[in-house]
Amino acid sequence: MNRKLMSLTLAIALAVTMLMGVSAVAEAKPFEGVTITFWGGQAELNPGTLAVIEAAEEALGLHVETEINPGGSEGDNLLKTRIASNDLPDLMVYNSGSKLYDLNPSRCFLDIKDWDLVSRVDDAFLSSVTIDGAVYGLPQSSTQAGAIIYYKPDYEELGLEVPHTWAEFVDNCAKLKEAGKTPIELTAGDTWTTQVLFLGDYYNINAEYPTFAEEYTEGKAKYADIPVATRSWTKYEDLVDYLNADKSAATVQDGNFAIGTGEATHWFILTQQLPLITAEADDQSQIGVFGVPGDDPDNHGLTVWEPMSFYVWKDSQNIDAVKAFLDFYFSEEMLNLYFETYGANGPSCIKGYTLPETVCDAVRVDMQQYFDAGKTCPALEYVSPIKGTACEQLTTAVAMGQMSGADAAKDYDEDCKKSAVQLGYNWE
Amino acid sequence: MTKTKEKSLYSVWFVVPSLAIFLIFFLWPVISSLYYSMTVWNFETATFNGLENYKLFFTDPAMSSSVPHTLLYAFATSGLKVVLAFFIAIFLTSSIKTKGFIRSAVFFPNLVSTMAVGLTFAYMMHPTKGLLNVAIQGLGGKPVDFLGDPKVALWGIILSDVWKGLSISVVIYIAGIQSIDQSYYEAASIDGANWWQQITNVTLPLVAPAQNSIIILSLIGGLRTFDLIWAMTGGGPGFATDVLASVIYKQYAAGFYGLSTAGNVVMLILISIIAFPLQHFLNKREEAIR
Repeated sequence: MNRKLMSLTLAIALAVTMLMGVSAVAEAKPFEGVTITFWGGQAELNPGTLAVIEAAEEALGLHVETEINPGGSEGDNLLKTRIASNDLPDLMVYNSGSKLYDLNPSRCFLDIKDWDLVSRVDDAFLSSVTIDGAVYGLPQSSTQAGAIIYYKPDYEELGLEVPHTWAEFVDNCAKLKEAGKTPIELTAGDTWTTQVLFLGDYYNINAEYPTFAEEYTEGKAKYADIPVATRSWTKYEDLVDYLNADKSAATVQDGNFAIGTGEATHWFILTQQLPLITAEADDQSQIGVFGVPGDDPDNHGLTVWEPMSFYVWKDSQNIDAVKAFLDFYFSEEMLNLYFETYGANGPSCIKGYTLPETVCDAVRVDMQQYFDAGKTCPALEYVSPIKGTACEQLTTAVAMGQMSGADAAKDYDEDCKKSAVQLGYNWE
Repeated sequence: MTKTKEKSLYSVWFVVPSLAIFLIFFLWPVISSLYYSMTVWNFETATFNGLENYKLFFTDPAMSSSVPHTLLYAFATSGLKVVLAFFIAIFLTSSIKTKGFIRSAVFFPNLVSTMAVGLTFAYMMHPTKGLLNVAIQGLGGKPVDFLGDPKVALWGIILSDVWKGLSISVVIYIAGIQSIDQSYYEAASIDGANWWQQITNVTLPLVAPAQNSIIILSLIGGLRTFDLIWAMTGGGPGFATDVLASVIYKQYAAGFYGLSTAGNVVMLILISIIAFPLQHFLNKREEAIR
């Protein structure tokens, strides 16, 4: 009896599996057996992206092979070598703005201006990936800002207010130091991070000197000559006494931890770190953001970075599969999956899309208010192709008190001249 | 039959393969790099701009400061290795019991990858958590920011380099010292020379060929050093530890290929004007001793 029952069950089970198999074959996945290669940095291959990739493999049947770009100078060297030898992945992530311009993208990336997806992206982002009328990129994540991320419980404890001028900010730092806290985290172990104060101060330059970007690109406006621009460099001098003890060696990971746990109060950093900082914090509501303050209390704004972009290799054999993957990636469901899994760096640049409720307050409240009030401005690298290459070394030297802000401003002007000459501009 | 010229043993054609390799992979790149160093170059188009790149290289403090750093680095590491390795080699060739073990221990650092050495030393020199500073503070001293203070950062890397590179010099010295005939020492001791006099008058002159190899190898190694510096400071803080090779790498990363090539030419010339006369001088010295 028992044996009969068993065999019956097994027979049914077998039949069911076979039927399922048949049905799976019946609705064959469109890209079964196709492998697309995807190259991105550690930050882009985050759990959110991986979750979407997994869902895409499930739905489309394709396989996504990921490869990590080490980033920084190493990453740039690899990329430029791969471009020179025409050996790119089908899909890759890289900066938008001036760094894209440097790559001379028409020889390696596909112009996607005819894709429907492009119409869903806001104009500020599109202008950062449009060169000579061709559109190359789609936003990998949300916008972000070069701003000050801070640990709110310290502010509550000492009854401090979010500062709206630079003087108020320095004053807050003095009070924090008096209370035995480390007012500012500097992470010069990863030199790029030291630039954020300088780059994030661009809102204030633009507010006082609206033609700066244009004149700077033509080689007429100099950091050493325009007082508000020199200020971006001398602001570092005001902070020298308020830094953490391991400032010269601290890395981004150290910074995430320091702000998340309140070891230090402020950090000048890109808000792409928010998901990682809130992961260290007891509660996401402890972490806040404000823009680099200027001198006018009524005009406190935020300098905004466009997200990294997806680029498609011009000579890829799998352009159809890549397009299907991107269409899938930008469906509302997948955007939600991405932001719920990983979090957001700032407001989204997809038109009509709102971030899910799970995204932290720092983005949905603190940053959003600048966007709502119209007090945002794109970072200089999105409005001018010229950026000095020694910027991060100069900002490190000034931040550590090894050189004066005025000297650094002068050196940076020379450095920019070098970039301009190498990009073929005729500066005198 | 006409009388043929005296035939050489091998046909001249035997030279062709190696000559071709030399011309294609060495001489041609050198010549073409001279041209590209005078252009603004993006791999596709090269616009000639004369000596502009060289002018930029020597006027921009971010790049020109790399020349004195490179020289200091090369001469300091080479000098320290030549002197320290000599005494270690003397010690290791004397009659001590655990000679075999100590010789392997001295050679050990050379087996570790430069990147690993760099990261390890960088961590040991961490301003707050590093082993060295914990020790200094334990002894009541003030912590030193070894790699963050521009005045000491280069020396921090120089010492790490010496730690790693010393072993090769020791091995060459040991080989040199062991090939010295014992009869010299016997003759010297019969004449009443003490230990120190034997070293200065017998060992030192007779080890000169080995010493010359060490000087040349370590100096050229120092002039083109890159990996250890990149692992420890990346040329920072600011430009305090930037050497020629790291500057060239950064310019290449920035996409300034012409400028980067100019840096390579500067490095080639610098190494040539130091290495050739030095080799000549050392050979002269060696012959004089014989």
